[in-house]
Amino acid sequence: MASVSFSNLQKSFGKTKVLHGVSLEIADGEFMVLVGPSGCGKSTLLRMLAGLEDISGGAIGIDGRVVNDVESKDRDIAMVFQSYALYPHMTVRENMGFSLRLRNDPPKRIEDRVAHAARILNLEPYLGRYPRELSGGQRQRVAMGRAIVRDPKVFLFDEPLSNLDAKLRVAMRAEIKALHQRLKTTTVYVTHDQVEAMTMADRIAVMNDGRVEQLGAPLELYDRPANLFVAQFIGSPAMNVFDGVFKNSGVEALGEEWPIGASGGPQNQPVKYGIRPEHIDVGEGPIEAEVIVVEPMGAETEMVLQVGGQRLTVVTHGRAAFGPGDKIRISPQKENVHLFDAESGMRI
Amino acid sequence: MNRKLLREARLWLVGIPIALWTLIPIYHIFLFSISSKDSAFSGALWPEHPTLRNFGTVFRQEHFYLHHFWNQMWNSLWIAVMVGVLTLAIATCAAFAISRLKVPGGRTVMNAALFTYFIPAAFLAVPMYKAMGSYGLLNSRWSLVLAMVTLAAPYAIWVLKQASDKLPWELDEAARIDGASAPQLFRLVYLPLMTPSLVAIGTYALLLAWNEYLYAFLLLSHEETIPLAVGLGHFLASDDSPWEILMATALIYGLPPAAIYYAFRRYMVGGLTSGAVKS
Amino acid sequence: MSAIALPGVGEPPKKSLTSWQVWGVVLIAPYLLVFVAFVLYPVTYGLWLARHPQSYVTLFDDPIFFNTVVNTIVFLLVAVNLKFVMALFLSGFFVHERAWIRWLSVIFIIPWAVPAIPTIFSIRFMLNPEWGLVNSLIFRFFHVDGPNWLNDPSLALGMAMLVHIWKALPFWTLILMAGRLAIPREQYEAASVDGASAWQKFKFVTWPSIRTLYLTSTLLSLIWTLGDFNSVYLLTGGGPADKTHVLATLGIRYIRLDQVDQAMATIVVALPFVLPLVYFMMKRLSGDEQKTSA
Repeated sequence: MASVSFSNLQKSFGKTKVLHGVSLEIADGEFMVLVGPSGCGKSTLLRMLAGLEDISGGAIGIDGRVVNDVESKDRDIAMVFQSYALYPHMTVRENMGFSLRLRNDPPKRIEDRVAHAARILNLEPYLGRYPRELSGGQRQRVAMGRAIVRDPKVFLFDEPLSNLDAKLRVAMRAEIKALHQRLKTTTVYVTHDQVEAMTMADRIAVMNDGRVEQLGAPLELYDRPANLFVAQFIGSPAMNVFDGVFKNSGVEALGEEWPIGASGGPQNQPVKYGIRPEHIDVGEGPIEAEVIVVEPMGAETEMVLQVGGQRLTVVTHGRAAFGPGDKIRISPQKENVHLFDAESGMRI
Repeated sequence: MNRKLLREARLWLVGIPIALWTLIPIYHIFLFSISSKDSAFSGALWPEHPTLRNFGTVFRQEHFYLHHFWNQMWNSLWIAVMVGVLTLAIATCAAFAISRLKVPGGRTVMNAALFTYFIPAAFLAVPMYKAMGSYGLLNSRWSLVLAMVTLAAPYAIWVLKQASDKLPWELDEAARIDGASAPQLFRLVYLPLMTPSLVAIGTYALLLAWNEYLYAFLLLSHEETIPLAVGLGHFLASDDSPWEILMATALIYGLPPAAIYYAFRRYMVGGLTSGAVKS
Repeated sequence: MSAIALPGVGEPPKKSLTSWQVWGVVLIAPYLLVFVAFVLYPVTYGLWLARHPQSYVTLFDDPIFFNTVVNTIVFLLVAVNLKFVMALFLSGFFVHERAWIRWLSVIFIIPWAVPAIPTIFSIRFMLNPEWGLVNSLIFRFFHVDGPNWLNDPSLALGMAMLVHIWKALPFWTLILMAGRLAIPREQYEAASVDGASAWQKFKFVTWPSIRTLYLTSTLLSLIWTLGDFNSVYLLTGGGPADKTHVLATLGIRYIRLDQVDQAMATIVVALPFVLPLVYFMMKRLSGDEQKTSA
């Protein structure tokens, strides 16, 4: 177990700069998730930590030691790949014991460690099988088993659940989280799925275009997004955001008056108004909206409404009594309103 | 029903001539080798008294041209195996370096190899002959071995590289993180996964060397070192050599490649055509 | 605030030679050695031997040379094209799924797999005018004497071409078969539904897909046929009276006569034809490389 440190990390592929000075501290035993859209640099960051990519600038530290020039095998890390990367010609047992075999560990020790990991992951019945005989979820567990056997300082996960179907993904999420609670190894987890990030992380680093947009605990990112990007990336369905101006004690937008929680700003100053779909109450309220689409999900109902030419998404508990074309009244919960500077996108 | 019969008949109409065209020269070898001298020259389709005496003559080295038969057989075998092994070793290492280790200049080496592959071997023969003379290797079996390795390696590297490129890159990354050094990656991950291609290439190189005539007779002329192919060529020196004995010897010479090809045919067809020409 | 000392923010780390790069060089060295010693040196030496203009004068003066060039051109044009037309046809035959056809395809490869000496000698003896199988059969069925196959230069060259085709056909048939098998079945089924005849299916489905492979293979075969020594040498020895030589065998003839310079000159003369083809083939294969590795 160890801390991980990124100091002003930079990376360029030829002339293209993909990481613009990322600094991040991961505490010992923490489950850190790097999340962001494709191309934001999260996988590159992970691979640099693994030693699979060169560093163009800055430093990476594991347990207080700079590892820029240290080879992968000497960094005491283990990685779970998106495509599992299991050795097809070796059995599950051999796959899991491979790293120890490379170090010439005594067979008894290899046997014990493999058995231990297999027990934790319920892989005991599969030890003699080959990867081609296993399902996707089982292969993923073998890949994790291979990482556990190494007993590394840091676990690295590179979008491990992307190749699994939805149901399996949910189950594996819980397993990985449980594993972390049991082993308490520092974990760096990369995903593009913000649901995975929210459910698994101790802290999340939201990345975009080679920079960290915000770093914090999941609920922190949810409750107080630092800028527009984070606000619209975290939370599903995404936050409703539209343009308006400060008027009286609220915001005038889309032809209506929208309440805000805190004090306002200079009159007539443009501002961006953000409210999450789950924070809009329907039935009564100051704002009129027209129902466009109703999507009943069973326990919740998702609706697309139109206000002043803009489409808004609303999520309510239970069933909705409305249909397309109905005119209804809605009320945003003013304590859950987010305001962002119209130009910079930063939180006000 | 009639359409089906017609279609089958058309296929047979093609199949039978192909079978005849392919097999007649082969059959003819067999025919001669079991015929006595008179019967062979009578133009019969099947000898009156088929005999195995010719093979006996060969095995007992009882004819002037056969005095060194077993020696020549041994030379052929030794050369073929050495070429197979050396080509496999050199090509496997080179393909690994180019494909997995991404050695700088890999593409240039690959191009150099392709050049050697495309140039007709007959054109390289004369310069090779002179070069071997410079190296003082003429009449040593090593000259033929090295020449054949030079000819077989390019295609081998090409095929192995193609096969190797299909292996997922993450396997190497996982192995590196697991702590593998380059030799460990080569031995424990790469070689086991490449086995079918290795078999195809080893067989290809071996057969190439066993079947070779031109380079053999250019580079080796001493009675002790010539392979069986050259020995067979000697029969043509005079006009009334015992052709039936020649055919018996030729049959023996031709059997190993036929047998090996038959045994490995699945590897050969797949392995060789995939790399040969890309459309 | 970071808890570790920074080596120098913004500087790329020093690039020392990693052990992996060293291994790369070590593993490719054996082939490089082979290439330098047995390709680069011989080729350079050979070209140096071919430097005397006198060799070429002597070569062009030799009546055999002109005849050889004609033979070679005829051989290339006729044998290669005939071979490929047959390969194209047979590749269509061998893709039919029957057990006996699969067995036949195994047998069909034999000419290519077995060594040249037994088989070409066999054909040579079959063609012997007095006691060979061919003339014996001709006499038995038609009561006439068959021709002296290998003593008439044109007939002999024709026979050499036939021998070449016999030996090389299986390989190219296999290649074209692979090309045919790569065409998705649905295209033929769609054509059937559209009412296409067998010929139309070939013209509109098979040929467009296989055309590039056919042409590339033909080019490669041209290069290799140019170097086919065995077919002529083992069948006719270049005779009668050196009338059936091709460039490949002519070079060796000069070597046997200890005229090394001439031998090299013969080869150099063929290079302007061979090298562009080789260059073209290399570009094709390298080009595909780029596409698949990108």
